[in-house]
Amino acid sequence: MSMTAFLGRRLLQLVPTLIFILIVVFVLVRLLPGDPASAVLGDRALDADVERINRELGLDRSLPVQFVAFVKQVFTGNLGNSISMKIPVTQLIADRLPITMLLTFMAAVIAVVMAVPLAFVAALRRDRLEDSAIRGAFQVGLSMPVFYVGLILLTVFGAKLRWFPVGGYGDGFLDHLYHLFLPAVTLALSLSAILMRNLRSAIIGVVDAEYVTFARAKGLRANLILFRHILRNALISTLALFGLSIGTLLGGAVITETVFAVPGAGRLMVDSIYGRDYPVVQGLTIALAVLVSVTFLLTDILQAWLDPRVTK
Amino acid sequence: MTVMSVSRLRRLPRAFVFGAAILIASVIVATFPSAFAPYDPLAMDYVNLLAPPSAAHPFGTDNFGRDVLSRVIHAYTIDMQIALFATLFPFIFGTIVGAIVGYVGGVTESIFGRVVDAVITFPFLVLVIAIVSVLGPGLINMYIAIGVVGWVFYARIIAAEVKVQKRLDYADAGRAMGYTHARIVFRHLLPNAITPAVVYWMTDMALAILLGSSLGYLGLGAQPPAAEWGVQIADGKNFMATAWWISVFPGFAIVLTGLGFSLLGDGLAEILRGRK
Amino acid sequence: MTRLSLIATTAAVLLSTTSLVQAQERGGVMTYGRYADSMFLDPVLNDANVDIWILSNMYDTLLLPTDDGQSVQAGLATDWNVSDDGLTVTLTMRDGIMFSDGTPITTEDVIWSLDRARNPDNGIWNFLLAAVSEVTAPDDKTIEIKLAQPDPAILPALSVFNAAIMPKAAFEAMPGETDLEKATAFAEKPVGSGPFVFDSWERGSTLKLVKNEHYWADGADGQKLPYLDGVTFEVIPDDATRILRVQSGELDGAELIPFARVKELQDDPNINMELFPSTRVADIIINVRPELDGEPNPLSDVKVRQAMNYAANKDAIIQVVTFGVGTPTSSFMSSTTPLHTGDGPVFPYDLEKAKQLMSESGYPDGFTASILTLAGNQDELGIATALQQMWSQIGITLEIQQVDNATRTEQYRNGTFDMRAGAWTNDIADPNQITSYFAYSPTIDALHSGWKSEEVDKLFEESQSELDTDKRAEQYARIQEVFNQEGPTVLLYETPYPVALQDNVKGFNQIPLGNNIFRETYLEKE
Repeated sequence: MSMTAFLGRRLLQLVPTLIFILIVVFVLVRLLPGDPASAVLGDRALDADVERINRELGLDRSLPVQFVAFVKQVFTGNLGNSISMKIPVTQLIADRLPITMLLTFMAAVIAVVMAVPLAFVAALRRDRLEDSAIRGAFQVGLSMPVFYVGLILLTVFGAKLRWFPVGGYGDGFLDHLYHLFLPAVTLALSLSAILMRNLRSAIIGVVDAEYVTFARAKGLRANLILFRHILRNALISTLALFGLSIGTLLGGAVITETVFAVPGAGRLMVDSIYGRDYPVVQGLTIALAVLVSVTFLLTDILQAWLDPRVTK
Repeated sequence: MTVMSVSRLRRLPRAFVFGAAILIASVIVATFPSAFAPYDPLAMDYVNLLAPPSAAHPFGTDNFGRDVLSRVIHAYTIDMQIALFATLFPFIFGTIVGAIVGYVGGVTESIFGRVVDAVITFPFLVLVIAIVSVLGPGLINMYIAIGVVGWVFYARIIAAEVKVQKRLDYADAGRAMGYTHARIVFRHLLPNAITPAVVYWMTDMALAILLGSSLGYLGLGAQPPAAEWGVQIADGKNFMATAWWISVFPGFAIVLTGLGFSLLGDGLAEILRGRK
Repeated sequence: MTRLSLIATTAAVLLSTTSLVQAQERGGVMTYGRYADSMFLDPVLNDANVDIWILSNMYDTLLLPTDDGQSVQAGLATDWNVSDDGLTVTLTMRDGIMFSDGTPITTEDVIWSLDRARNPDNGIWNFLLAAVSEVTAPDDKTIEIKLAQPDPAILPALSVFNAAIMPKAAFEAMPGETDLEKATAFAEKPVGSGPFVFDSWERGSTLKLVKNEHYWADGADGQKLPYLDGVTFEVIPDDATRILRVQSGELDGAELIPFARVKELQDDPNINMELFPSTRVADIIINVRPELDGEPNPLSDVKVRQAMNYAANKDAIIQVVTFGVGTPTSSFMSSTTPLHTGDGPVFPYDLEKAKQLMSESGYPDGFTASILTLAGNQDELGIATALQQMWSQIGITLEIQQVDNATRTEQYRNGTFDMRAGAWTNDIADPNQITSYFAYSPTIDALHSGWKSEEVDKLFEESQSELDTDKRAEQYARIQEVFNQEGPTVLLYETPYPVALQDNVKGFNQIPLGNNIFRETYLEKE
């Protein structure tokens, strides 16, 4: 199958997924106890106010009626207005999702940069000091809660050493990169540990496999063996894992964003769920789903390129 | 112990032995916490708030005057449960689904692809908060939330591996010898494909404990007054500068337990590879 | 305290007192860390503290709350008078006042703003002006407010954020059909007459205000206010990060410091840890309906509730949860609320008495009940965890349920909860708001508890139009006596607003109602 056909098929497959997610999220947010009015008004909520607000928001209508109205909106590219902030959801997403995307991208790059070379070192020096040290260090990184690591990094590299700002997002692209460095490292820690461990194990598996021994016997130079055979074969399962993890990262950056005061989409999502801001939760879920699907597609393409059999 | 069993133990990978030792010790502590804890983990002592480590309280006391050591020990019960129960179902179910999908391919694989897409692309936190809000907070509901998503990871890893394995010579040989599909998949392909899933499983156990901590930070994890490492760390966050012992000791416990799982995973991988 | 820091403190005190007579430092932008972002900057249609507490910096009112939050002072109006029958309020407008865009503030703007604020279809604050029947302007300097019945709280009501004066023409020129649509557009770049003007807003991150060149007030040095060139609010949801940013000098101040950190910051020589008096009270709200889920409800027994009150060791809770910062409440309303009565805890800790009351109650063997706390809220969790242990001694097994705000509010409004942790802050310098929610059953069934006292309901209704201050004080004294003794609450503590400021920040105030006041704030040069 050609790459174009493969791409086309994968893009087409997105449609049912997105429709499914649309329905699930629509129903799910409405299953949550409470309504937007009582979430926002809290203890001050009077029955009359809650009823009036629900009427204004059209939440007194039946679910199917609301769903039809929602779908009509989505197809005109309008995701509605935020209930608590009143402004259009599309504007909120456009403001805040790119921040999370940048953060996740940086975290992914940092994780790969940390994990791949060290996985090779650890695998090729298996059970030696280097291996133990690398695995030990990643184990500690993996075992520390994100908010704890974040606070330590902020205290040491922000407040004490003054190398980085203590949270925030900054102005201008370079400043954004500067502000997002520590949060990206924090977010990258667990991912890099997962990748490192998986890749190390895969490399060991490949090194032990017969075809590498065979290649060695044929007299191929050591470097070539490493990069042609080992990397290609070892990366397959690691890449599958990487694609999956990026999805979790995108949706799960909320704690990192909270600790580092990064105004990203993760924080917006959690605030909106707690605030029962249905349009924002719905819109953001759809936007995240599209984004994760695209990331998925990219890792699929990479995988297909590494191992053409996968597309068959 | 007989000579034979000792020599067999010697032949096991070192990582496996160390990992198993840590985890066996952990399971013993988790099963009989009261035998090890010097105090009642829930007893409050209002005159001994935030006391630093001392002979009477080796790990100090927390902001309620509770003994941190006793809480770390009692938390073993909950955290070992979290590590196991939050990952066991996803591992088993994901492995079976992944093996079938990888072997059968075709339409099954397309359908599986859509399911994976839907599960993975759905924001995890929305799901967790939704499940916890509807069913109420607590560990069981946390397992459900993690389980709904977690199996996909194993399934995808296994499916990718099985697809590669089934094209290798020995699978063809199995088919030529007229073995059933089930036998080829579960006796021949899976043992070779399962290594990355096992390695990931061990990491996943440590991650599950950590996720408990993240949910604790959001107030959705283990419910008070039960001691749980993640919640202890989240509670100790405000005292990082003034009473580090509240969060550091549970942190050590997570690292140690995580190390046990990782070593065991690496050791298992070696054994599985060796058997091939 | 070391001698050096003693000298430093004395010097700081001297400096701050002398600078009152000297010219204040002018200029500079103050950055202030908040725990959450504002949502909707419309004075009438907003519904949360994140908006309320900063609105007065942008929107001015006819009257302003005093610094102690107990009464009113001149705002856009210089004089005010309530007629003897209490049915007419006459206010004189200040000369030469303008909105921040330079257009003059007219009586038309005032009438339109107050009419919008009291419209029952608009927002949730219109009840504060419910007594108003008509607003007119006999001449271009005078505003006359006619009341349908006397309202002893009408002057404080005119100083509340929702009675802010907004530019009618600018608002009505906004796109949209409905008031909400226009307000949404207007609130994206609001125009008012407060000491500061809206400049820019990156949601979830930064809200920038700049000095209003047209602001009317002069400072203590005779110069025009405000002193600052601007105020920048930064949203930093994590407490520890917010504190770290103050410590690293990136913020000039930060709100809502966790009580656990107050002592540490008080010891920090570069930081001025302020504890501003507040109207905030923390308590447990109890469902007292005779039956819950078809079962008899032990919490409906007043002896049980009193036993719970006696068994709650307030000092220990204050120590554990507020680290000694709080004080036991002496009534359901804070001691900073006008007409508050009482001193010392209503139920001093007495375990023996509690046990005795339990044995006299219908539940001598105790029972199991649950308490709702807000997920992620350490204070409420701390209270519940401490009570769990304290009440176990009188046979009550307490189950803690951490839920999110919407879930809790739903159970609360449906009356399906056993108990919940709660906190309250007044929005008006009068006891009527808190009393209406807590004790007066027609509003929300006394905090949705199902508690009802004919006497309290009657007293409250009378007090709402009682112009004789002494009589009204008597009514409130009795209401508090009844509610505190028999009411559906476990009274715990009141706490100040903990704000961390850099040492050079002077003249900042958070009044007991919560409003952050920057109009006289200045940054002293080092």
